[in-house]
This record gives sequence, structure tokens and C-alpha cells, in this order.
Amino acid sequence: MIWLAVRNLFQNKTRFVISIGGVALALLLILVLDAVVTGVQRQVTAYIENSGADVIVAQEDVRNMHMAYSALPAAHETHIRNVAGVAAVTPIHYLTNLIEVGNTRNLAYVIGLPGEDGVGGPWRIVAGKTLPAVGEAIIDRGVALNSGVGLGDTVKILGEKFRVAGLSEGTETVSGGSVAFIAQRDFVEARRDTGSVSFFFVRVRQGESPEQIAARIEQRLDNVTAQTREQFAERERQVVNDMSTDIVAIMNLVGFLIGVAVMALTMYTATWARRAEYGVLKALGARNGHLYRVVLGQAFLSVLLGFSLGWGITLLLVVLVPRVGLPIALEVSGASLVKVGGVSLVIAGVSALLPIKQIAGLDPARVFRGK
Amino acid sequence: MNMANATLQINHVTKRFGAGETQVMAVRDVSLTVAPGEIVLIMGPSGSGKTTLLSMLGALLKPSEGTIALHGTTISALKEDRLPDIRLRQFGFIFQDFNLLSALTALENVALVAELAGVKYGTAHNKATEILIELGLGARLHFLPEKLSGGEKQRVAIARALVNDPTLILADEPTANLDSKIGHEIMRLLRAIAKEQGRSVIIVSHDQRIKDIADRVLWLEDGQFKEMKTRAVDPVCGMSIEGEKAAAIFEYKGTTFYFCAKGCRDEFERMPEKFQEGGTGMA
Repeated sequence: MIWLAVRNLFQNKTRFVISIGGVALALLLILVLDAVVTGVQRQVTAYIENSGADVIVAQEDVRNMHMAYSALPAAHETHIRNVAGVAAVTPIHYLTNLIEVGNTRNLAYVIGLPGEDGVGGPWRIVAGKTLPAVGEAIIDRGVALNSGVGLGDTVKILGEKFRVAGLSEGTETVSGGSVAFIAQRDFVEARRDTGSVSFFFVRVRQGESPEQIAARIEQRLDNVTAQTREQFAERERQVVNDMSTDIVAIMNLVGFLIGVAVMALTMYTATWARRAEYGVLKALGARNGHLYRVVLGQAFLSVLLGFSLGWGITLLLVVLVPRVGLPIALEVSGASLVKVGGVSLVIAGVSALLPIKQIAGLDPARVFRGK
Repeated sequence: MNMANATLQINHVTKRFGAGETQVMAVRDVSLTVAPGEIVLIMGPSGSGKTTLLSMLGALLKPSEGTIALHGTTISALKEDRLPDIRLRQFGFIFQDFNLLSALTALENVALVAELAGVKYGTAHNKATEILIELGLGARLHFLPEKLSGGEKQRVAIARALVNDPTLILADEPTANLDSKIGHEIMRLLRAIAKEQGRSVIIVSHDQRIKDIADRVLWLEDGQFKEMKTRAVDPVCGMSIEGEKAAAIFEYKGTTFYFCAKGCRDEFERMPEKFQEGGTGMA
């Protein structure tokens, strides 16, 4: 019976395009929104994920960087270094500020680096130096392009002038922002604060468990929170989730309702248009179950095609959006696909209910009355 | 007729619709026995109960009274959920409007019905192909109904009716939408199905030509089988009418013509040469 569903689906091209297109657009709404949230999560966690740190130590109860402030005594560095299993400690200064070029202002997560090792620094340099010296800054290539600056040009960060010494990639963040790197000394001078740092990035010795080292640091020092890199990144993602849950839920509901409305209407009209044929099949001996399978097959096939089309368009947007210069990073996650797949199944099921009721009420004897 | 071998046996079947003052008795105390290989033609005016009777014979409608037995099994007493299987395996239906599924090819239209009866996809398609080739549609297997002529559509419908090897074919006005030549071809096919394959065929029709192939012609009027009286065909509209009950009569060149309505007679009077070939009159 499934090929009857397939043929019914493809016979009326207009109805086919409307149902598949409508479902695809509805699912696209959910997929793109999820992709935006996943993209934001990736951007927000990119620095931490690429920091090279195994453990991140912050002020007590500070568990992420985004929209958070942490201040720790600089003297903690020695205490952390003395914790068994710690291989290296890098003090990191961090502040949300701006990169200014003339009248152009770009939001920036400014990182002050000690410049001794690679921990906490830029992870993909496309031009120039890999670490900033005093008076130098490494900024995101996209920001440099948009602001019209290049290597050797001057930008203003934390109110001070810096020479662009390097361009990094993968350092763009939400809302057109980016991560900018300057030397620790410049950061401290600009902030006029020599006694504190924002975080300590800790590397553990080979074979040591980051979880255990984090626990040891918390035991050794009061008023600190130590987390593994994964835990820290997860908390970052959670912040994004918390900020977007309501809007995502509303838009998911809107997408679901549009999908149900489009599918239910097209399924209902498609079944209505073929009610005489379903009546003939009933008269010939088809059971309701046979006909329900045709309707369900048609609904699920439509939704499957709509889902595939929606997914395809989303993947296309993932590639195209960064190329047109929009400050959005789209990323499709497996969880999103599973969720939208589930939503699609529900849409198919719900949209088949009315047609099934229609078919159940068909009187096969009408076939002899020419109705 | 040997009742024990009968394909179909209808005993005192009555069908009522509605209740109280609005009750309508569509079929009244009808009895009929159909033998294997027999062609029974049921004729009658519109509203005489033909469609209701056909629906009951095809297990699409239950009688209010009486019994309908197929090969000795009283199908009128079976529960609703048993009837689809009976319709699928024991009956072959042929409709006036062909009623093919528009999205399926000729082959698929036939194979689908075999699949509904539980035949596997490949076997169903092979069987459908075989029957369609036998009916001369070998070159039309993969054509959609919209690409077939009326006669071809009706042959596909006949193939569909035969695919599950039924013992009884029920045909509702099988020649109504066909021209004279194709109509004869369909009649010949129905006769072959009955006489060569031993299937019983019950045809409901207004088409007088089918009398030629029928073993028995029954006249249903007011829900009852009545004796076939002197029948004539209105030369204007083609309706079969009883001579005694004609609404109008007109003599032309020594022949009496019978009309279902005065309007038909008036039209005939204006141009008798145009119509005199179409009807039957009595000299």
C-alpha cells in the first residue's frame, strides 16, 4: 500500500510542493534557531575549548566567563603551582571591553596574557605573531577586515592604543564580538590593578586526572572554584541555554504549529479529494487499516521530505551565512536533528488524524450511487 | 436449478431506510438464485431499488429482512468486520464510472486489489500483468487511467474484478459510459467470463443490448421483481418503458412509438426521421 501513498503524494504537484515546502519552512524555523543557539554556544566556548587548560580556577562560585566577573589574588599562583599533580599555572586577565578603530567599535573579550607559554592564547593565527608583546594586540581577522585595519595598524583597547601584531581565526563570538589578546603588563597597567587576576589556567601532569586536581585546588585554597575545562565549557553552554530557552521554546512551538497546520490542511484536502477512491477501495474490500496506512504513509513521507528539505536549507545557510558577513555562526547539532525529527513524527501523526476520521466514516455502499 | 450448487441465493430480502412516516422500503421481499456461470440482468426504472439490491448482493449493505447466501454461507448474517474479506475474495465489482485509482497505472490498479487480499507484491504484479495481457491491454500496463480510452478503462476494471478469482461478478451499468462498439466488446467479455470461466455475473443496467448476452432478465420495479411486460424504448431519450404505462404514444408510418414523457413525444413529432431508428415500436 505504501506505493499508493507515494503515488498519491506525487500526483498533484501543487499540493505536493505546498505540503513539502510548508513543512520544510516550519522545520527550518526550528532547525535554524537551534543552529543559531548551537553556534552561539560554540562561539562562547571556543576560547575555553581551545585554551589548552585542563583546569580553570576562578573566584568562588564563578563558573563561566560570559557575562561573569572573576577576581583572584595574584598570589594564589604559587599555591596552585604547589598542588600535587599541577604541571603549569597561567594567570589570565579578562574583561569585556571594546576594540575601537576610529568610530568603529567592536565588542571584545579582552585577554591579558603573560606571554610565557601558549596556554590561554590565540589558537589559530593567520597572520603575524602568535603572542602579543607589550604595546601589541592580536585581534580577530574578521574584526580587522570589518574595521579596515591590518598588521601594523593601531587599535584602541581598554582605552589604550595597540599595534596590531597578529590576526587570529575562530575567535569571533556572539553579536559581532571577538576575543582580543594583549600582553598581561598592558592589561594590568590599563586596569591599574597589579594584585589580582581573573582566572588561573592550570595544566596537569601527564596521567593526572583534571577532576582530582580541581578538587585538590579547592581543598588547598579558600574562596575559589576549580573546574575542569569540560565542566567550565558546559556551564558556558548552560548560560546560553538559560538565556535562550524561552525564545527557543516559543519558536519551536510556532514551528510545530505551522507544520501541523500546513500538513493537516494538505492531508485533509488530499484525502477529501480522493474520498471517492477511498470509498471504491473500501467497496472492493480494503479494510480501514489498509487505508489508514496509506494516509499515514503519505503524511510521514511528506514530513520526511519536508524534514530533509529543511535540513538541506539549514546546511546551506550554515555555509552561506558567514560568507555574506552576518555575525552569526550556525551549527547543526545531532540533538537538534533528533528533536526536529521527533517533532516531524508528531506533525505527521497529528496531521493524519482528521483524514483517518474521514476515511473511517466513508460508506462503501456510496460507490454504487456514483458519489 | 440445483439450490445446493447455487453461487448466490437471496431469500425474501427486504430493505427499509428510515423509520415511521419517513420510512422508505427500497427492496421488498425479493428472492433470487444465481447458478455458477449464469448471467443475470436486472433492469428497472430509476428509483426501483436496483442500486440498493446490488449493494446488498455485494455485502455493502445489510438487508432489513431475509437472507443472502454465497455458496451456502449466509453473508447477510456475518459481522461487519468479516465482510471486507468476502468482498475482496468472493466478489468482483465493475462500476459504471470504472472507478480506477487515478494515481496508479493500469497494472497497479489491478495488482493493488490482489495485494489487499494478501498476495505478495511480485506475485500480484505478475498475476495482474497476465490478466491485463489476456484482456488485450499488454501495451497499456503502465498507462495512467487518464491516458486510457473508456473501453480500456473498463477492461482494466474487469481485470481488477477478476484478479482475486471471484465466483461472482457484480456489474453496475458496465456499458453506460461506452460507445456502441466498445459496449459490445465489454458485453462479449462478460459473457466469456461467465461461460468460459464459470463465474456468475449479475448486471444492473438500462442497456437493452445486454439482454442479448443474459441468461435471465429480471425487471425490478418498486423494489420487487415483476414480470417483464411489453417493453419499448423511448426513441428520444432511450429509456426502457412498459408499453402499457407509457406517458405518450405516437403512430408514425404504421408503427406505434412509446414515450416516457410528453416532452419526448413532442420532440419526436417535430423530427420523427431523426429518432425512429433509436427506439422500438410496435407495428
